Amino acid sequence: MKSKNVPGMNVDIGGIELKNPVMTASGTFGYGEEYNPYIDINRLGAFIVKGLSREPRSGSPPPRIIETAAGMLNAVGLQNIGVDAFIKEKLPYLSGFDVAVITNIFGETIDDYIRVAERLNGVPGIAGLEVNISCPNVKKGGIAFGDDPETAYEVTRKVKNVTDLPIIVKLTPNVTDITRIARVVEEAGADAVSLINTLKGMAVNVETMKPYLNNITGGLSGPAIKPVALRMVWEVTREVSIPVIGIGGIMNAHDALEFLIVGATAIQIGTANFINPRATMDVLEGIQHYMVENGISDIHDLIGTLTVE
Amino acid sequence: MTNTIKESKKSIVTARIVDHYEVARNHFLMSLKVPSYFQAAVPGQFVMMRVKGREDPFLPRPFSINFLNSHNTGTIMGILYKVIGKGTTIFSRLKKDDELSVMGPLGNGFNMPPDRKKIALVAGGVGVAPLSFLAEYLKRQTNASAQGIEEIVCFLGASTSQLLLDRGRLADACSKLMISTDDGSDGYHGTVTELFQNHIDSYTDNDSIVFCCGPDPMMTGVAGIVKKYSIPCQVSMEERMACGVGACLGCAVRVKSHGDRPRYMTVCKDGPVFDSKDIIWKQA
Ligand SMILES: Cc1cc2nc3c(=O)[nH]c(=O)nc-3n(C[C@H](O)[C@H](O)[C@H](O)COP(=O)(O)OP(=O)(O)OC[C@H]3O[C@@H](n4cnc5c(N)ncnc54)[C@H](O)[C@@H]3O)c2cc1C
Ligand SMILES: Cc1cc2nc3c(=O)[nH]c(=O)nc-3n(C[C@H](O)[C@H](O)[C@H](O)COP(=O)(O)O)c2cc1C
Ligand code: FES
Repeated sequence: MKSKNVPGMNVDIGGIELKNPVMTASGTFGYGEEYNPYIDINRLGAFIVKGLSREPRSGSPPPRIIETAAGMLNAVGLQNIGVDAFIKEKLPYLSGFDVAVITNIFGETIDDYIRVAERLNGVPGIAGLEVNISCPNVKKGGIAFGDDPETAYEVTRKVKNVTDLPIIVKLTPNVTDITRIARVVEEAGADAVSLINTLKGMAVNVETMKPYLNNITGGLSGPAIKPVALRMVWEVTREVSIPVIGIGGIMNAHDALEFLIVGATAIQIGTANFINPRATMDVLEGIQHYMVENGISDIHDLIGTLTVE
Repeated sequence: MTNTIKESKKSIVTARIVDHYEVARNHFLMSLKVPSYFQAAVPGQFVMMRVKGREDPFLPRPFSINFLNSHNTGTIMGILYKVIGKGTTIFSRLKKDDELSVMGPLGNGFNMPPDRKKIALVAGGVGVAPLSFLAEYLKRQTNASAQGIEEIVCFLGASTSQLLLDRGRLADACSKLMISTDDGSDGYHGTVTELFQNHIDSYTDNDSIVFCCGPDPMMTGVAGIVKKYSIPCQVSMEERMACGVGACLGCAVRVKSHGDRPRYMTVCKDGPVFDSKDIIWKQA
């Protein structure tokens, strides 16, 4: 299919073959039906579904979201239909597209992660697992799995042991040194890492003196977090040899190119979809356009080209 | 490969303002030129709007469709809104020919069961926005198909007489218009919930239906009344939104569930119109 004018966009994420580096970010694109009227899902590099847990989860009471400067806070509380309902009700629809489906998983205990990973193993139509380690570990007093190197290692190792699928470990930015966690999960067998998840934040209504979110704190996403995300992706790419997926505040092709240049092999688009349901397509076309304009025939000639004087 | 069939995709459209003015203190009516497919929209559906090319405010804002008119020059959509914060303040300063990015029509509108003869519309403040559209829609249907609708009564409440919005349109479309104001400057002196309660004897569980939109305490009150008399009632709910299509799960509203686990639905995709008995109302 490759012609002279169409640049090579294929990337390999730890064994998952993608036709291009543009993916949807977990929790921002539903299960496919929501945005199918707006974009051609077949053109995506990968589709990452909303985080799945062992049992269905109701999520947090409203209000769940509030706009902030150049972004938003959310406290959806990981509402999802549970892994079994996903396989039965949602996966058949997604399998109808020619796109790599990556299931994002999470749990409250390491055992939860293992169970979800086991349940998804061997299910046709799934290309890989993204393991969200940003959530609180109930057995460790609510410290996030991804906030503690030992737990991060253990959860990665144990999920890896029960699945034949490539695993992407999704890192939290709410840590002192994200490169340390990245190195540890690489050692534990992660095939790739993705970063960043949302930054923990809050907002207060001064008229009522109450927090805007029922949950008090929430996760910050959108352009406000992009510089932090970019810096973290750059740091991590220098420390690990597995592919790195860049996430955080990508609104357009320019933002996506920054992540690719600092070394991300692929990127995910989250909050931007809410403002422009075609954001993924616009980014994809923008990257292609940039490559053509600059005579770059293969995406790998762009990845990691940051020039430091 | 069942989903690979090429179909035309929806998109966010650029809509130009053709008319925009302050109908009452802090309340504006904006008329926008929209593509002709908007004509298929039903009352209760909404749109997500941002000022085109402006990055702040960040998220689009949801507004009910207040009217749709088709001329040979195109389709015009009306948005009736109250200025309450940053986004609506910026909207209020827009002029004729300014452009908005509009996504929609979205969500599920009001649903008129065929066996209902008596209709009550209960509107509080700017909550009247989708109900004037509904009143005109039902009137047109009644004329066209001689459906069994015998009467449409609108209970319209506001804090003061100047803020009784869409009064003329409702008087034309409804069999009767009942007014209430909190300050007694017009009609019944009190809330629209009380006014509706005072007329509840006109309605029965087997031939009536209530359509309601307004502030939380008012909808909670109306939901309580209709429950007592087992009268079906549809309400248009509000929550803060981000995506408008059911993808972010931000606009959750708590609904009744069978088990112990709380159950949430999205206002944007499952609503914004719900059966009032499905909602778990906060205690007023
Ligand atoms: C389906 C739907 C239809 C709507 N239709 C109309 C309409 O026809 N006319 C109209 O005037 N308004 C309508 N609204 C409400 C409208 O969307 C908000 O008033 C608007 O988003 C406020 O934007 P802002 O930037 O001015 O306020 P902000 O600066 O964002 O907020 C001001 C204050 O209002 C609160 N607030 C904002 N949005 C909401 C909300 N959705 N629910 C509860 N509290 C909120 C904020 O927490 C804050 O305290 C509708 C809402 C929904 C969900
Ligand atoms: C409403 C919402 C829900 C999210 N849900 C999940 C989730 O279930 N699992 C997960 O790993 N990340 C979740 N995220 C985080 C995003 O996938 C992404 O990492 C983050 O939003 C930063 O990217 P962005 O700025 O492009 O949105 C969610 C984000 C938002 C805004
Ligand atoms: S606004 Fe995103 S789910 Fe309703």
